[in-house]
Amino acid sequence: MPLKKPDSIHEDDDCLFAVEYDGPPLPYDIPRAVPINMDRIPVAAVVSPVCISAAMSFPVIQPILSIDSTKKQLSREKMVSPTSVIEHVSDSTAVSPTEEVSGELEEETTARGLAFCDSFEVSEEKESLDNESVLSMDYPSSRVTGDCVSETGGKKQPVVTFLGIASDDDDDDEEEDCNQKRTRVVPVKKQPQTKGKKGSCYRCFKGNRFTEKEVCLVCDAKYCSSCVLRAMGSMPEGRKCVSCIGCPIDESKRGSLGKCSRMLKRLLNDLEVKQIMKTERFCEANQLPAEYVYVNGQPLYPEELVALQTCANPPKKLKPGDYWYDKVSGLWGKEGEKPYQIISPHLNVGGPISAEASNGNTQVFINGREITKVELRMLQLAGVQCAGNPHFWVNEDGSYQEEGQKNTKGYIWGKAGTKLLCAVLSLPVPSKSISNASGDQLHSANSRSILDHLEHRTLQKILLVGNSGSGTSTIFKQAKILYKDVPFLEDERENIKVIIQTNVYGYLGMLLEGRERFEEEALGVMNTKQSLIEDEEGDAKSNIKTLYSIGPRLKAFSDWLLKTMAAGNLGVIFPAASREYAPLVEELWRDAAIQATYKRRSELGLLPSVASYFLERAIDVLTPDYEPSDLDILYAEGVTSSSGLACLDFSFPQTAAEENLDPSDHLDSLLRYQLIRVPSRGLGENCKWIDMFEDVGMVVFVVSMSDYDQVSEDGTNKMLLAKKLFESIITHPIFEQMDFLLILNKYDLLEEKVERVPLTRCEWFQDFNPVVSRHRSNNNNGNPTLGQLAFHYMAVKFKRFYSSLTGKKLFVSSSKSLDPNSVDASLKLAMEILKWSEERANICMSEYSMYSTEPSSFSN
Amino acid sequence: MSVSELKERHAAATETVNNLRDRLIQRRLQLLDTDVAKYTAAQGRSPVKFGATDLVCCRTLQGHTGKVHSLDWTLESNRIVSASQDGRLIVWNALTSQKTHAIKLPCAWVMTCAFSPNGQTVACGGLLDSVCSIFSLSSTADKDGTVPVSRMLSGHKGYVSCCRYVPNDDAHLITSSGDQTCVLWDVTTGLKISVFGGEFQSGHTADVLSVSISESNPTRFITGSCDTTARLWDTRDASRAVGTFHGHKGDVNTVKFFPDGHRFGTGSEDGTCRLYDIRTGHQLQVYQPQGDGESLPVTSIAFSASGRLLFAGYANNNTCYVWDTFLGEVVLDLGELQDSHKNRISCLGMSADGSALCTGSWDSNLKIWAFGGHRRVI
Repeated sequence: MPLKKPDSIHEDDDCLFAVEYDGPPLPYDIPRAVPINMDRIPVAAVVSPVCISAAMSFPVIQPILSIDSTKKQLSREKMVSPTSVIEHVSDSTAVSPTEEVSGELEEETTARGLAFCDSFEVSEEKESLDNESVLSMDYPSSRVTGDCVSETGGKKQPVVTFLGIASDDDDDDEEEDCNQKRTRVVPVKKQPQTKGKKGSCYRCFKGNRFTEKEVCLVCDAKYCSSCVLRAMGSMPEGRKCVSCIGCPIDESKRGSLGKCSRMLKRLLNDLEVKQIMKTERFCEANQLPAEYVYVNGQPLYPEELVALQTCANPPKKLKPGDYWYDKVSGLWGKEGEKPYQIISPHLNVGGPISAEASNGNTQVFINGREITKVELRMLQLAGVQCAGNPHFWVNEDGSYQEEGQKNTKGYIWGKAGTKLLCAVLSLPVPSKSISNASGDQLHSANSRSILDHLEHRTLQKILLVGNSGSGTSTIFKQAKILYKDVPFLEDERENIKVIIQTNVYGYLGMLLEGRERFEEEALGVMNTKQSLIEDEEGDAKSNIKTLYSIGPRLKAFSDWLLKTMAAGNLGVIFPAASREYAPLVEELWRDAAIQATYKRRSELGLLPSVASYFLERAIDVLTPDYEPSDLDILYAEGVTSSSGLACLDFSFPQTAAEENLDPSDHLDSLLRYQLIRVPSRGLGENCKWIDMFEDVGMVVFVVSMSDYDQVSEDGTNKMLLAKKLFESIITHPIFEQMDFLLILNKYDLLEEKVERVPLTRCEWFQDFNPVVSRHRSNNNNGNPTLGQLAFHYMAVKFKRFYSSLTGKKLFVSSSKSLDPNSVDASLKLAMEILKWSEERANICMSEYSMYSTEPSSFSN
Repeated sequence: MSVSELKERHAAATETVNNLRDRLIQRRLQLLDTDVAKYTAAQGRSPVKFGATDLVCCRTLQGHTGKVHSLDWTLESNRIVSASQDGRLIVWNALTSQKTHAIKLPCAWVMTCAFSPNGQTVACGGLLDSVCSIFSLSSTADKDGTVPVSRMLSGHKGYVSCCRYVPNDDAHLITSSGDQTCVLWDVTTGLKISVFGGEFQSGHTADVLSVSISESNPTRFITGSCDTTARLWDTRDASRAVGTFHGHKGDVNTVKFFPDGHRFGTGSEDGTCRLYDIRTGHQLQVYQPQGDGESLPVTSIAFSASGRLLFAGYANNNTCYVWDTFLGEVVLDLGELQDSHKNRISCLGMSADGSALCTGSWDSNLKIWAFGGHRRVI
């Protein structure tokens, strides 16, 4: 007889388990299973103390019930033959009537169940794990419990639900269901109490359902006015219990986001309320979770959702659910329904549209979607020929053509009547952005904040460090020019112009100083000559005028210039006076003496190398209507402030080739980088604020290669200074795990200089021996040049130094900071390193030798 | 006189000065036969005792998304401004723990913030452009949520490490900077009134990290610097420091006036806090945590209203010791209490009435601690 009973169960709820249980020869399994159930229940009880919320007491009750039921089972099992699983089922169904009563309370208790589930997020994992272990250990036993639960729930297929919880946790709906069921059981015991307190505050248990209360967006807990501030704290994500902070909101409450209740307004002042409502609407945790929105059958990625929400015509009232989207025309609607709106077309979201997207049956197709009857009606009334079940292509402007034909047949929404018609049939028409300017504004504010969040997520920070004079500012400016559409604003350019002009006057002053010196020297030489060759005395007077002498008028000007410079107010006087002095400057520049001095500029120590660039164009630059070109700005000194920090947000523009090659790289265009240039001053020993840059992705350290023979004011070699700074930065505890890219800058200068001045001038490079340290090189034109060798040598020096201190690999790149391509290459390398560091585990870093940097260093 | 001769004489003079300074320090050490702790112990006093609920975290201010670097109270003790690495200044209502303003800064690297005495404006300073910006809380934000800067105090040549309003004077502000100077500003015009240090020999010789202005005598302020000294200044006389206080062996990260205005406390990278007397120039007490482990740098300090307690945040997990200033003993560690911070405590602030302490931490939260139970404010 026992065999029959299982059969009946099969019929009732066609569950798998009965099949498995078909053979009843394992009667002892079930008794064994029950203790395991017991185990499971205490776990739930243990977990509950984790929750601090007021709803705490409920979870405890539920296990009691289950213990009861299991106890019943236990007792039953002792009496009845253990084989009859069904007995228990029937047993629990017998219990169910009492639970049915609780159905009245369903609404409230469900809410409580949610509260409980959300505050329990941490514990859920544990619980489910437990479930799993139960399952794996003893399948039948778990089935029994599953059955019980299902019976009490009374709606869904029990086994499926149960397996759903146990096997995959990520299905939220199932989980919620489960929790609902569990808590629906709750009121059985708690009923009188809850009834008494129905509608009371969740914290102080006072008040009734008519007292005004604020509701938690996540767990639906209600708090009275005296408790709300304590229960919700500073509301960093809007109206949520402290324990719910960080959790996604209940989707049904999305509509109330940012809508303030009267109670809050009463409790808090306007400013506070405004802040709360703002954060409530815009904080990340409250945004629509992308994976709940399906477009053309595919769940969205977060980036796609952002693209959708930030387009010119975003879908209104986007909720979790299934949508179809016609990318060509921009038609948008709910899955299986007629179009609801026309949004921006050509958005790369979701999958391809299916023919049955709107569940049409007209056999007329628009962009591959079978349209609905209403649409067909509209088309007919709009005068579109629909005979013969045509397939239309409709563009976003409403122009349509038949599939396979080239000529546009007309515009669907061309006539005013059609729009009216659409309104009658409640079909969408293309929105004119002008018509709802206010709405657009709202959207743009919305989208901006969303973009802000996106930025937060994908902004990679690169710290650019280097000694003064190493070229960090040039690289920074170069990046600005490379990656910004408008590198410098109008007023910025105006400022830069003034700076450049002041600089040029400064250079001129230095030239004039040099001229005086040369004149003195020349005179001195001449005097000695004169003393030697006494007989040429007659010519002495005329010879006093040397190559470096200038006329009295220019002399006066130059004296005045030098005096102003010495007084230090060059910057104050000159930009204003530039118009007045421009002709004089021109004359001065053309003077033979100045030209002669200029030829000997290499002897003027103070004159920076870029001076010649400007001096040669001095006349142009000093005219009042001079406008600095990008190159001028690049060359100009002192454009980026030397004392403060400068930062630049950019993203690498994608080349067409990259786009074609790798469409999966599409997301990279969303990756934004921030280049932060920090002043070299104060970086020294007391890097007081360096821990502010803990979150940077990598550090780019710039060293000027041509520094090897230069000496700073206090007599130390500049290369050694750079090494010292390098050491203090790489050994800083904040940068312990950081990637470093060393840019050896001014390769062009090095190439030129290394031929004249041996690299061994710097004591760190004593063992540079070009013949011995000849490297194999990618350079196909025979032997590498001395400059290349010197660069390789320095790179190896730094790498060894770095790995001796940190035991890691240093990335090295060379660049000429004045050459946009080489800077671009170096920064792209930085980007690559950032990408790689994300997948470090997969890549063997040791493979990366300095040779791989060579294409970037020398191809330019 | 030739250049080399001049150089020689300069070197000799420098050495003399250094010798004299060393002798001064030696002499002070000789004279220092006792400290506050020994004296108080000799008087038979016992340290302050804390029960479990005597100091409790009563508010947690959540809303920043980055490390909190600085905070300041208003004079009425009901509002707090905090600056965080997320690039925002948030003005909090300390009683309701709600935000009243969230000011997005053009630069995320903000290091300091201050509330003006009348509570109408806030100042902040940091790394970008070495500017101290003043925001008026009454000005309305545009739709991006950015509040226009009402005044820029620019002129420093290094980062602005600290800014404090002169008590009871909304028009004046003192900033300290990485360019080794401090500047007294006229906020209304945005111009410098005087520069302390820099080219003058008696100024700091390294980055100035902290400023504290005396409540009782607003012309006096002290500064702490990377040159391991603290200096006392008079706002009326910018040419020289009134006093220089040696003793620390590391950067002086933070300075704070003792409530009576005659003493001040310092916190340093060397892991100690010290108490100095302004009138005698002596060091009164060293507060060094017990234990032989590596000393933890002090990030920030605050005194209780009476001065009996010294709160000091340390640069590890979430340690914040409460020292009995008289006996030199740790009486409490805020990090051990319930609801404590989860990361380093970077800034401390005692409300003007002494009823509550606010702590800001790298865990992006601020917490307000108040004396619970029947304990009266000390």
